[in-house]
Amino acid sequence: MSGSRAARLAVLRDQVATLEAGTRTPSLVQPFGDPRVDDCLPGGGLPLGRWHEIVAEGMETEVGAAAAGFGAMLARPLAASGAVIWVMRRDDLYAPGLESLGFPARRLIQVRVRDEAQALMALEDALGSAGVAAVLGETEDVDLTAGRRLQLACEKHGATGLILRRRPFGGPARKAATGSAAATRWRVSSAASHPPPGEPGLGPPRWSVALERCRGGRPGAWFFEWNEEADHGPHPLRMVPGLAGDELAAAERVRRIA
Amino acid sequence: MPHPGPLRGPVPPHKGEGALALLITDRGVRRLYALNDAARAPGLFAGQKATDAAALVPELVTHEADPDADAAALEALCDWCVRFSPAVAVDGRDGLFLDISGVSHLWAGEQAMADDLLARLCANGIPARIAVADTAGAAWACARHLPSSSMEEGPGMVVRPLRRRVSAIGVRAMPSSSPGHGDHTTTQPSSIEEEGFPYPTLRAFICPPGAQAGPLATLPVAALRLDEAAAAQLARLGLTRIERLIGLPRAQLTRRFGPQVVLRLDQALGQAREALVFRRPPSPWIDRLAFAEPLSQLDDLVRVAGDLAERLCERLRTEGRGARRFELICCRADGKAFPVQVGLSVAGRDARVLTRLFAPKLETVDPGFGIEVVTLSAEGVEVLSAAQGRLDNSRAAMAEEGVAALVDRLTNRLGEGAVWRAEVVESHVPERASRPAPAISASVTAGWDPDRPRPIRLLAHPEAIAVMAKLPDDPPLLFTWRGQRRRVRLAEGPERIAEEWWRKPVGDIGPGFVRDYYRVEDEAGGRFWIFRAGLYDDADNPPRWWLHGVFA
Repeated sequence: MSGSRAARLAVLRDQVATLEAGTRTPSLVQPFGDPRVDDCLPGGGLPLGRWHEIVAEGMETEVGAAAAGFGAMLARPLAASGAVIWVMRRDDLYAPGLESLGFPARRLIQVRVRDEAQALMALEDALGSAGVAAVLGETEDVDLTAGRRLQLACEKHGATGLILRRRPFGGPARKAATGSAAATRWRVSSAASHPPPGEPGLGPPRWSVALERCRGGRPGAWFFEWNEEADHGPHPLRMVPGLAGDELAAAERVRRIA
Repeated sequence: MPHPGPLRGPVPPHKGEGALALLITDRGVRRLYALNDAARAPGLFAGQKATDAAALVPELVTHEADPDADAAALEALCDWCVRFSPAVAVDGRDGLFLDISGVSHLWAGEQAMADDLLARLCANGIPARIAVADTAGAAWACARHLPSSSMEEGPGMVVRPLRRRVSAIGVRAMPSSSPGHGDHTTTQPSSIEEEGFPYPTLRAFICPPGAQAGPLATLPVAALRLDEAAAAQLARLGLTRIERLIGLPRAQLTRRFGPQVVLRLDQALGQAREALVFRRPPSPWIDRLAFAEPLSQLDDLVRVAGDLAERLCERLRTEGRGARRFELICCRADGKAFPVQVGLSVAGRDARVLTRLFAPKLETVDPGFGIEVVTLSAEGVEVLSAAQGRLDNSRAAMAEEGVAALVDRLTNRLGEGAVWRAEVVESHVPERASRPAPAISASVTAGWDPDRPRPIRLLAHPEAIAVMAKLPDDPPLLFTWRGQRRRVRLAEGPERIAEEWWRKPVGDIGPGFVRDYYRVEDEAGGRFWIFRAGLYDDADNPPRWWLHGVFA
């Protein structure tokens, strides 16, 4: 009974997915290369040709450093297939810092806008252009109408949008967004790094990431670390256990053997 | 006032058929506009009524003067003179100014250059007088008023290092022997009064640098480009030569004759500046639409912009060219003009793209009572081969074009400098290590040093932080940034970066301008780039701590 029930549910899910997709072409995905994350995402990876929301907490909503680093790492595998564009209101993005994370910052096209309306205009224009693989944008808020427009622009040529929610320094906090047209929403904060045993200083950057909303997927929460050795092959983000120390060391040993 | 006629000197008789004059209608009266020597001999003069002249000299041959054609011919001559100097200005009805600063060495000297110019003008049937001097005023005076005898001793002059040399050509022309096409060959019929001067024997007059006062002194005051009233008043008071003017008290000169006399004198002597309006050949890449009924709707303007772009781009396409900048000028019925510019990052000629770029900018045009004329001009025109679809890799080429078009759209809408790409600068100072470069550029240079960790956000101005450190040279244990206290969990450093001493005055160089950077991580996982400016052993300037960036 339970087996047939599961089968019926699977059939229904397929039908719903077909209806939802409509005339759209089935979207490509960018897998993280780790089943614990990929299984939560529809299609087994970050859906391309959609736009995603990255939010932060506390002072990070003003500084936006962790979110920018995480967004850049999501966009990095896409940089090979086309141009990457970064739309911002404050030009405090530091290209050498992006490069030290392995992001091709010298090919990144940066766009500075004056206000929210211009930011959304530039984002929509960039997402709908041929030859653009990914667009990162820093905006305060994307309401439902704007989000729908961004989604339509994404579908034109299959560009992927990564919207970092960031408010101006000292500005009043906006109310949290209730609905959104984004495919996923990630809540990102920086996490304590773990230098390799016996070495002084800081370890590779590490993020605490929660997948809060995901269309056709499941939410989850993980720790990611910057994967130094990922040049072109694996994803530049590597999942690490939440608590450090011996578990990390074990994970590293396994990886080295493999 | 009777012209002293320094140019007449030993004038050989004009070998034309006889008295010839050009007529113009001035306020309903036919007057002589210009006349030749044969006509002047019996006492005719320019400005005389034609009926009086005909009564005096019944055999006078007259033709209609055409000042517009003269002006057009002079402008054509001006454009032709660009072969001698890029800066050529039209002077009145019958003269040209050439700024020959730094050009004459191409002819091995000013004398050779001026002689070449003179020979070429003569070969074209345009008699001329040329003078070279430091100032436009002195050159003008010498070219028009110097006795011919001085011009003949020109070759003795030597070429000297130049400051600013202006060559004035007093172009003198006269109708050729067949007056039928006089209008085309004459550049200035007005100066027939100077006709027949012995140009083959004259050479250009070269005034030694800084010595314009000498030749000027003996010239009549009319050589100062004064208006008639001032010149007549000066002559009435017996001030016929410039030398007598130079010694007079300037305040009284100004009071009696107005500021113009002193200004012209100073300009001729090089004590006052004078701006010449140089003529530039117009861009041939221009198109224009005029409307009997003025336009006021935005939609109409956009359509007109599209039509003009279509026409101009078609011309560009047939010539195999593209342009980088386009300017649309909307001329309003009341004489105001509204220019609208768009720029392209890659030379192009796609009318549809141009129209899309112009459309949002046309909203700023205030049509008022209506737009009468719209012109579109292209600048930065360069050769652009016809685009051909490539068999291989055609998608990549398409993608490149898409990004270039996007950059154009964003640049034109957000402004110059709003779209860029980071470029490496060889500098250790963090805020100088990266600079904006054009978003579409072919070369991507070598990257930054990957061994030096750099923050992802760099604050434009480092922010002061309050710190607590165990030892003076240690990274801090605690710091407070923007009102939040953070306990440092991990730290690494220091990386010492000294300011670039060669950019500063000597007094600002010292140990106080050294920055020691530390990477620190607080207990919540935030990673920061902080630095200490200065050293602890400097008692006068205790070191201060700053936060410069935030890591991902």
